[in-house]
Amino acid sequence: MERFLDELALFAPAVVFNIYFAAASIPIGFVFAIFLALGKASASPLISRLSRGYIYAFRGSPLFIQFFMVYSLALSFNVGVWKPMGLSWFVLHPLFIGPLVLVLNTAAYTAEIFYGALRAVPRGEVEAARAYGMSRVQQFRHVIWPNLIRLAWPAYTNEVVFLFHATAIVYFALPVIGQQKDLMITAKELFERDYNAFLHFSVAALYFLAVSLVVFFLFGLVYRRLMRHMPAAPGLRFAPKWLR
Amino acid sequence: MSEDLAFWLSYITNGKHLTWYASFQFTIFAAVFGGTLAVVFGLIGATLKNSRFLPLRLIGTVYSSIVRGVPDVLFFLFFPLAFEQAVEWFIASQVCTPDMLAAQSAAWPPCKEANWFLGTPEYLILASVSLGLVYGAFATNVIHGALRSVPKGQLEAARAYGMSASQLLWRVHIRQMWVYALPGLSNVWMLIIKATSLLSLLQIADIVLWADRLGAPNFLPAVGLVHEDWRWRYYLVLFVFYILVTLLSEKVFEAIMRRAGRGILSEVRH
Repeated sequence: MERFLDELALFAPAVVFNIYFAAASIPIGFVFAIFLALGKASASPLISRLSRGYIYAFRGSPLFIQFFMVYSLALSFNVGVWKPMGLSWFVLHPLFIGPLVLVLNTAAYTAEIFYGALRAVPRGEVEAARAYGMSRVQQFRHVIWPNLIRLAWPAYTNEVVFLFHATAIVYFALPVIGQQKDLMITAKELFERDYNAFLHFSVAALYFLAVSLVVFFLFGLVYRRLMRHMPAAPGLRFAPKWLR
Repeated sequence: MSEDLAFWLSYITNGKHLTWYASFQFTIFAAVFGGTLAVVFGLIGATLKNSRFLPLRLIGTVYSSIVRGVPDVLFFLFFPLAFEQAVEWFIASQVCTPDMLAAQSAAWPPCKEANWFLGTPEYLILASVSLGLVYGAFATNVIHGALRSVPKGQLEAARAYGMSASQLLWRVHIRQMWVYALPGLSNVWMLIIKATSLLSLLQIADIVLWADRLGAPNFLPAVGLVHEDWRWRYYLVLFVFYILVTLLSEKVFEAIMRRAGRGILSEVRH
């Protein structure tokens, strides 16, 4: 029991890195995804094709490869661009590259969710808004967006949890600097020390589970707030889909 | 111009590149074998979840929710390591004598004779099994849902014809389930394809590892610098490769769905 508590304490600093990666990439990815989803639904064929292609490419390839690709690209620009500007320490740092790639990745998945919700916004409401003489910005702000976010929220919750799970591979692709280790690297190093796979990996899994449940709880609260005008709050299903 | 072409031809067909091309077999094997196992585990899991016997139902539910609740990488790493240790522990309990145990100084294995060396084929099989276990949990949910969306009338009709429970399951229920399961299974397959990029974490010299080796700055004493850091080019190739595989799988699944949906009147076919 004491061993288990010690183990929990050992992993506590590590989970901060996973939470950092998720927390840094979710807000930016959210905003980026809105533009991507609107781009995909855009009437202009150029914008629509570009967003469609971006979403397809980043949903159709492994995050692991995306990490390696972006990191090696950043490395190849190092001598020419970053070094003269004195930015290498920042641009090549995992704490920057990690969220960058996660943003690129989650934006594509989130955009697909938002695009689906955008198409499910009731036509009649948009037509009514147009009949009232609302400008396009007003239509989006007052009619489309509130509908969209309510429709997309349950799926978006799953995406956030998935993104948190995806933070597990950040340090398998990027260099570990000093004591900056996330849950997986901590578990792996402890395993290599005493070969106790069951203890170390289970504790890491427990942390992942615990944070996922907290995310579900918080996003459930937001969902209830979003749906407060509805007669019977449907509530976010506690058994989540976990599938992208 | 032709010299350039000759250089590139010989560059991309040199021995290391040929090894790289050959290493695609590991990825393909892991995807196909892992995918098959995922469907098998999915069927088993869904059957457990539907079981009338409470402990079995619990096992099915716990399996599908716990495995999906932790990151796939974690389970993907954990399962082969844990399996290897379990086997070594078993060998140790058979082979090791007290003086062998005393002679061993490392933490694991208990004695040197109990060490089980894993090569690429063993790791590949273990990796496929763990892919199957992880994504079998996803498939469990998909198949469980699909089994429930088979129209009740079909099952009642089969029962009215006097089919036994197992006949009903195999000839009607599972046969008709595929149409409803295919969209979900296609999603699971896409996840498996993407997860095959993780093979290098289990010391398999797969396409990702080779891309890294080939792209690293290449210096030969006789020739000088052959090329500088080209890793991003190799990763770009893999990026495009995976997108093409996704595209191809989508087309194949569309064709399968069209075929499986023949003769079934429902809104499943768009």
